[in-house]
Amino acid sequence: MKLNHVYKTFYPDSPKEVKALTDINLTFEKGEFTTLSGESGSGKTTLLNIIGGLDSATSGQIFFEEEEISAYSEEKMAKLRLHDIGFIFQAYNLIHVLTVRENIGFIMKLLKFDEKEIDDRIMELASILQIEDLLDKLPGEISGGQQQRVAVARAVASRPKLILADEPTANLDSKNSERLMNMLRTLNEKEHVTVIFASHDKYVLEQSKRIIVLDDGVVIEDR
Amino acid sequence: MYKISQHLAWLSIWRRKTRSLMVIMMIALSLSGLLGLQGLYDGMISHLINTTIRSDSGEISLYAKEYRLNKSLDYRLSPLSKFQDAFSKIEAITSYSVRLEKEGLIATAHKSLGATLKGISLENEQHFGQLDAFITKGDYSFGKGNKKALIGSSLAKKFHLTIGSRVIFTAQDVTGEINAISFRISGILKTGNPSIDDNSVFVSMEKMSKFLNLQQSATQIALRVKDPDSIGIVQKELQTVFPDVDVLCWDELYPLLIQMQEWMNIFNLASYAIVFIVAALGIFGVMLVSVLERMREFSIMLAIGTPYKTVRNQIITEASFLGFIGFIAGAFLGWIFLLYMSTAGVDMRSFEAGLELYGYSAVMYANMHLYYFFQAFFAVFFATLLSVIWPLRKLKKIKPIQVIQGKML
Repeated sequence: MKLNHVYKTFYPDSPKEVKALTDINLTFEKGEFTTLSGESGSGKTTLLNIIGGLDSATSGQIFFEEEEISAYSEEKMAKLRLHDIGFIFQAYNLIHVLTVRENIGFIMKLLKFDEKEIDDRIMELASILQIEDLLDKLPGEISGGQQQRVAVARAVASRPKLILADEPTANLDSKNSERLMNMLRTLNEKEHVTVIFASHDKYVLEQSKRIIVLDDGVVIEDR
Repeated sequence: MYKISQHLAWLSIWRRKTRSLMVIMMIALSLSGLLGLQGLYDGMISHLINTTIRSDSGEISLYAKEYRLNKSLDYRLSPLSKFQDAFSKIEAITSYSVRLEKEGLIATAHKSLGATLKGISLENEQHFGQLDAFITKGDYSFGKGNKKALIGSSLAKKFHLTIGSRVIFTAQDVTGEINAISFRISGILKTGNPSIDDNSVFVSMEKMSKFLNLQQSATQIALRVKDPDSIGIVQKELQTVFPDVDVLCWDELYPLLIQMQEWMNIFNLASYAIVFIVAALGIFGVMLVSVLERMREFSIMLAIGTPYKTVRNQIITEASFLGFIGFIAGAFLGWIFLLYMSTAGVDMRSFEAGLELYGYSAVMYANMHLYYFFQAFFAVFFATLLSVIWPLRKLKKIKPIQVIQGKML
């Protein structure tokens, strides 16, 4: 994934104008385990949303596997998100009318995976994430930590090429944070999934192979 | 992909039972109210027409030409046998009533007023329009030797007449001689037709013929016709057979009633439209809120890559299903409501005076027709469709991430 001179301005040409990102030039290689870091309001979530096609850049180019996606229509972008990107949100964002099992298998169902393949994958992920007993429960019936594990399972179930995680540990205790990071690290190593976090959690930063620091919408460090 | 939408819609309905039940109940209650009101309005109008037909005009009435302009006995239908022969040849005529009427003066010891004396056959009128059902006091009888009379309720009230009271009727006979005849009241009628209740006294046909010095004559012959569609045909046929006679339908005989009815129809239509809009807005509001309150859920689905058309189909399927179940429940409730109002009636006796002024009965009975339910179905369908169009347009325009982050909605 490559970002060339990406800018993002909220409320342009108005008194409320906010320059969220300025001239971002970044390249993410396959299998990276990277964290976008910075203070609140530094632009890390905005950048993550732009990478995932959830928000559009004001200007600049974004390439995914050599193809420019910055000019994609919403329909095409949704297709890209469905096939190639897995999302883990800070507030879990599970679908509340679906059980844990249905939430995990939801994207695979949309992608028309075989029923058996869906079941096998759900069981496999449930075992890794230790949520086998929760499969028939609704999100409202399980704890925050458990919901976040389900959100991770949903994000990785269809084996996307890229996983984007926005503050995934923000609502978790240290034990659950550790479990989540271990799981994502294992997936990254075993399945070569590219993982990009937006976080200022010390533990996440310690676990990351690459850290990009943003300040006021500008990349100030890339190590 | 539609299978997924259907499945999601079903899960959403089933796993949010309280919300689904609330939506269904809201639709059902609005709809049953709408059906009840429509039936009641229709019932009021039909009752008015029915009363007029039963108590006076029939579907068709025959008068001698000029009689309705100049109510002289010179303009009368005679001999009756030629009319009776013609009626027997027309299958659509189910019954007829021969009447002989004369305007004159009705008097008691204390008061006198203009009124109309009508000679009728009780047996015929019973068969013709169940005149006996309008008796509120006394008997449906002219007594021994036909010496008694039936009187309209308002006229009786003006004279403070009760059963057994004596009245004297004075009028000119066919020769121009002024005659008087006295009767005792045997029964009081309340038909809801002001021309009868305010102005009429009924006596036996024999007595009336003798009083007016007439034989085998009538001033009006009213006919009942099998079904409303054949009224025009029968009218045309009779007009051909009797070109010198006025053959008139009930609506031609009661132009004022028709005018009043048209006004009432406009009023009813306006009230119905208001209730329809309120009900449709109710359904629209409930559906709209049920979609808007889940904007975040739909945004999550869109954010993780669910195609817009899957979410759209889910919302439409869900709304259609709830609308349909709401319609079934509402139609059932409305049917019970209508059934009750059409058999037991709605007692409006506290507004009796005002209603009677317009010829309406104090106890109103609702009508029930299949087309009400078709109309109601389209009302629900329309409101349901309308309720999802706006949220769907909104959903298409929004950036899902803004909703998820709480920056929108």
